[in-house]
Amino acid sequence: MINSKDLKVQDISKPVKQLTKLEKLMDLPAPYDKPGMEPELTEPKEDWAEKYCASLDGYIGLDTFETPKTKEEQDELVKKFLSGLEKMLSEETNRGIIQPLMLSLDYCGKCHTCSEACHIYEASGGHELYRPIFRSEILRRIIKKYFTTSGKLFGSLVGADIDLTWETIARLGELSYRCNLCRRCAQTCPLGLDNAVIAKEIRKIFSQEMGIAPKPLHEKGTQLQLKTGSSTGITKPAFLDIIEFLEEDIEEKTGMSIKIPIDKKGADILLTHNAGEFMAWPENPIAFAILFEKAGLDWTLSSDLLGYDNVNYGIWYDDAQAKKIALQQFKVAKDLGVNRIIVGECGHAHKSVALVADRMTSSDNKIPVESFLPILEEMVKSGKLKLDPSKNNFPVTLHDPCNYVRQMGIVNPQREIIKAVCTNFREMTPHGVDNYCCGGGSGFAIMNSMNFGEFRNKVTTRKKFEQILNAFQDTIEDPAVPKYVCAPCSNCKGAIRDILEYYEVTHKYNVHYGGLVELVVNALVDLEKPFLEFLDEE
Amino acid sequence: MFLLILSYVSLLAFIGLSIYKAIQYGKMPMHGRLDLYPVPKEKGKGHYGGSYYEVLEWWKKPRETSLFEEIVDMLKEVLFIKKLFDNQRPLWWISYSLHLGIYILFVWTALLFVGALTELAGITMGSGHWWAVVVYHLTFITGLVGALMVAFGAGALLIKRQFVDYFKKYTTLQEYFNLAFILVVAVTGLMVWVSDPGFNYGRHIAMSMLTFSPIEASAVLSLHIILLGILLIYIPLTKMSHYVGKYFSFHKVLWDNDPNVPGSEVDKIIKEAQIAKPKNNWSAPHYQPEPPKTQEM
Repeated sequence: MINSKDLKVQDISKPVKQLTKLEKLMDLPAPYDKPGMEPELTEPKEDWAEKYCASLDGYIGLDTFETPKTKEEQDELVKKFLSGLEKMLSEETNRGIIQPLMLSLDYCGKCHTCSEACHIYEASGGHELYRPIFRSEILRRIIKKYFTTSGKLFGSLVGADIDLTWETIARLGELSYRCNLCRRCAQTCPLGLDNAVIAKEIRKIFSQEMGIAPKPLHEKGTQLQLKTGSSTGITKPAFLDIIEFLEEDIEEKTGMSIKIPIDKKGADILLTHNAGEFMAWPENPIAFAILFEKAGLDWTLSSDLLGYDNVNYGIWYDDAQAKKIALQQFKVAKDLGVNRIIVGECGHAHKSVALVADRMTSSDNKIPVESFLPILEEMVKSGKLKLDPSKNNFPVTLHDPCNYVRQMGIVNPQREIIKAVCTNFREMTPHGVDNYCCGGGSGFAIMNSMNFGEFRNKVTTRKKFEQILNAFQDTIEDPAVPKYVCAPCSNCKGAIRDILEYYEVTHKYNVHYGGLVELVVNALVDLEKPFLEFLDEE
Repeated sequence: MFLLILSYVSLLAFIGLSIYKAIQYGKMPMHGRLDLYPVPKEKGKGHYGGSYYEVLEWWKKPRETSLFEEIVDMLKEVLFIKKLFDNQRPLWWISYSLHLGIYILFVWTALLFVGALTELAGITMGSGHWWAVVVYHLTFITGLVGALMVAFGAGALLIKRQFVDYFKKYTTLQEYFNLAFILVVAVTGLMVWVSDPGFNYGRHIAMSMLTFSPIEASAVLSLHIILLGILLIYIPLTKMSHYVGKYFSFHKVLWDNDPNVPGSEVDKIIKEAQIAKPKNNWSAPHYQPEPPKTQEM
């Protein structure tokens, strides 16, 4: 095993059982700065290494990659990877990304500015393996060696010095799942280059050419969604049952009798949710229903295939899957005849339907898309909602989801809303477009196979955990004061939920998490009981 | 005559190859959206990273962009390498020295031609004419400062890449060579300057190029011209041509947030692209056409 200090990109091909491992992680602030406050790292199980690729850092994200048993299988893997690489570099098969990709491959000055910007690199204690350019540089050198004249002529002189073995490929595939694709590094790059583009392209080669992708993203993600309508597996009848349950829940909680509109033809708004909300956080779609009804909006949900789940995991690993899902989601809106799609509290769904899908098809196949935030801001500011911010008189901090903040430029509305409904708001540092990823981005929030959850909880979410602790430093050690992390995104909420559980933060320090609409509903003047359950319990 | 031809060829090659590279990038198909905020052209919102997506029913409102704010931001990056200054100050000092030195040498080169034209107009640099005095001294300052900054920047980067472990790990021999090449060109230039502090040699070269007459040069000057000529041809062939890439990565990728709305240029390009059917495709099972369903009996 090679320690961080000695690790070089050429080592990716070294025939060792495990290339490297996590060492000293970034320190956490008080009260997690004392020994014994966080679970220790564990070793991967022996049998995992036999079946999967645990030879990178001991963690397994690519849970469908199986170690080739024979020389023929190994050669076939190399052949397929090279064929995928060729397609990645071709305008014909990769036209949607070729320009940004070639720029990022061609021009890196290796100034390491990206390293300082990366939450994973920083959280890992500056481990060499997690430098954003470690992965990019490996791919660059492989391309140099196998696809350029200079590489073939001058070899290592020009950096064409990485041998392509099946293990190199396996490790590189695994390494592509050590990046949240949050693009914070691209924001600081003096040349405007994007390591996340390169990480995603590696994932694409694995999925699109080799048929290898993490099960939670592909088989139980996009494939399940295309088959049943939702990556949660919720079918139309189940969805309709859930809606009935939500209506009952609203009445029970608030005394309001609300009929949630479903498949209302010609409605102004199609509201779309991450279906995970219906399962894990039903209070979120409930809050939306309350607010939209109170504001008198002409809106509807859809029970059509893919209409009730706005997720699109394809954008993290596979262009075809992303396109199939996005186009079907537009079709649902078209069939309903709505004027606009409003995306609920799901960051990647914002990015998927508003940005990634924006240039997938011509405008006549699309419906205008907007975030829930401008309309919520309008509701709050226009006085349509009677609000009492003193009902949220506890410390609140805001997590900025990368997908619609850094990557869509929606920064102010959520701040305007939160200031109107809370008395004790404090920003994280940094925030807005400079925020740190929650650590659950690009699928990590739902990837729990084998020990991958440990990598997420210990490393990728660590920077966010530090930010949360710092935001609440004045009251963190006072369990009598409830504290709220507002995370208006399903995946981010999932990642933050896991942080709070893993480090027992809710239990020990009374820190809670949830969305933004829940806070707004909790501030409604005419609500007798608190909407936020943790307030009800106190 | 060889030196004169090399001077023309290298200058034209530098410009021509750089333009060729830009055309190659420019010809690439329109990519999917990769906006990254702040996008400075977002009028009134660029400073905090906001965009039109903050506006209710944004597609019904006129798109407000500011070319001025985009240019200001671009100039900050081009002239000061602001992102490196903000995010990695220790490296900025030496990288900026190199880049600013190059900019100053561009000014110096222009001044050499101005000086040559002045002399061709009958005003010699030693005539005491105010214009000649200004041109002479500006040439002297820019030439010396520019060359020193380039030599310092290239040398310091070379040292940093060699002796700072995490730089060394990622630096290829070609990248050392690139820096060393720039350093050698700067040093040979300074060596020529030692024997001719007024840069008269430079004006003579410019004059030769303007009048198409042979360049008379000492051995050191000949070496300097040959190396500089090769460097000018070499730069656009390597990643040192990032002055081309940087334009595309910011303006055409990170700041390209034009939405696909009816009647837009984006919509037009998409409609045209939909006609083309790729001959080749990816090989994973889910990329293969579904087999025709057998009719149930």
